[in-house]
Amino acid sequence: MKSWKVGLLFSEIGVTSIIERSQLHGALLAIDRINASGGVRGRPVEPVRYEPESVTQRYGELAEKMIVEDKINVIFGCYTSSSRKEVLPVVERRNALFFYPTLYEGFEYSPNVIYGGACPNQNSVPLANYLMKAYGNRFYFVGSDYIYPRESNRVMRNILRQGGGEVLGEAYFDLEAKGADFASVIDDIMEKKPDVVFATVVGQSCIEFVKAYHAAGGNGRLCPIASLTMNEGEIDAIGPEASAGHITAAPYFRSINSPANRRFLKSYEEKFGSTVDVTSCCEAAYSQVHMFAKALDETGELETECLREALLGASFDAPQGQIKIDPDNNHTYLQSRIAKVDETGEFVVESKVRRAIKPDPYLVFPAIHDWSFRTLKVAASGRENE
Amino acid sequence: MGAKMSDPIQDIRDLHALVVHPRDRSADELLQQVNRIGCNFEHMWPMPKNLPEKFDLIFVDVTDQTAQRLTSFINSNEKPPTTIAIIGYENPSVLDLIFEIGAHSVLMKPVRAAGVLSSMLMARRFHQEQLRFEKELKKVRSKLENVQKVNDAKFILMRHRGITEREAYDLIRKQAMTKRSTTTEIAQSIINAESILSNMGDV
Repeated sequence: MKSWKVGLLFSEIGVTSIIERSQLHGALLAIDRINASGGVRGRPVEPVRYEPESVTQRYGELAEKMIVEDKINVIFGCYTSSSRKEVLPVVERRNALFFYPTLYEGFEYSPNVIYGGACPNQNSVPLANYLMKAYGNRFYFVGSDYIYPRESNRVMRNILRQGGGEVLGEAYFDLEAKGADFASVIDDIMEKKPDVVFATVVGQSCIEFVKAYHAAGGNGRLCPIASLTMNEGEIDAIGPEASAGHITAAPYFRSINSPANRRFLKSYEEKFGSTVDVTSCCEAAYSQVHMFAKALDETGELETECLREALLGASFDAPQGQIKIDPDNNHTYLQSRIAKVDETGEFVVESKVRRAIKPDPYLVFPAIHDWSFRTLKVAASGRENE
Repeated sequence: MGAKMSDPIQDIRDLHALVVHPRDRSADELLQQVNRIGCNFEHMWPMPKNLPEKFDLIFVDVTDQTAQRLTSFINSNEKPPTTIAIIGYENPSVLDLIFEIGAHSVLMKPVRAAGVLSSMLMARRFHQEQLRFEKELKKVRSKLENVQKVNDAKFILMRHRGITEREAYDLIRKQAMTKRSTTTEIAQSIINAESILSNMGDV
């Protein structure tokens, strides 16, 4: 029986492998679940995987190979914005459909891309509000040196200014940065004593940074490292002692206590043996594959125009809650939560917005007082009950 | 730098944009992208005779339009809008046309979402700078004229009174102060008086 072939473009090797493996697992799990329940229109979904090894140019080359040699029209993949920018011209030229299950900096729209992660209005604004209220408004920025951290910091600085806050320092590091590379900036942080360190260091360097901060005496309970990219995978690698007290904003956390999430985690554990690396990007990949399958079930063909028509406006009962693809911009209505790492190394959701936030990828200056970004305190148990 | 320029990026969502383009796929792509960017926008086709006043920025399809008709439309507003020409061909006569109508930026058909924001911002900035330069040029011109007048008046005084340039200037300034007037006005009076006096001499 003929299968539906889809391409998966995530790295299991290299600097962003922790997070991309978690995305790959999310996608593979969804495919398993779909096939276990009879596939789509009686045919199984078949993943075709290539290994880009976290090398930016490889993503574009491999996307081309998938489309041309394997005759694949639907691809899921990419973590960094720079790798997405490599794939973008390829899928546009070949008119393929590309699912991007990652938060990013916004200011993009391609008819060939379905964006499944948060843009700044869905995570930065609620996070900034929360941090200023809970810790204070003197921030220090540390990021990896590429487009996402820089744009993310621009947004953060702007919200901070509206709240009367200030940025005490700002530093960017290579994606390959090791613990020792952060020494001087950590010294500076210790000396200036900000209220919050806002970190957009990603992948392996995020782990190195948080460990180095802890080793230098940094205490998450007093001055947390707040991040949009520090997920369960990184926290697991950092260890509970060094990561306690740190804060992350994301649409999804593993600790959400809902039937959809319990089902998701149970099947994840059955397939991969443990749920330590389940992250918001993993959940996004999982949900995007499911949404694709639902659309395919409707269209019965992999043609881009048909699938896009079926996808725009479609909603899904994801582990994070209801999500929906915004027909205005191909991005996704997402939940927004803020969680703190507890002493066991688990994220405990501290607050969340009441309903999924509409994506606004072209928002230049988010307003700090926008009511739709206001978060509500989650019950004292820390676990969400939905 | 003088007057603070408004920031085109910050102000983008305050813009009122008008799309003058037949309702086809390019127009749809463009309207959707302007909507994503978050501007207030409207669509009109065919091109109306006059441009409603509220629009700060227009996208206009220049295909099969004359420069005269386009220019009269764009300038029908007291404050001409930032103009982005949408072109189907990149040949010299079309490019000539967009120069002639003074477009601030260009989009190529078929219009794609990517590039629309940059084009709007480039056009906005270019237009704002143009307006600022025009204003400054006007200021510099009138300043230059004033300096010229004061110079002329100085020479008249120097000739009539046999005084130095410095003394002539001090005289003009003193007069301006006592008469609560400007040096330019005093200079103008001196020039007028001189011309009357010399004309009398001719008679």
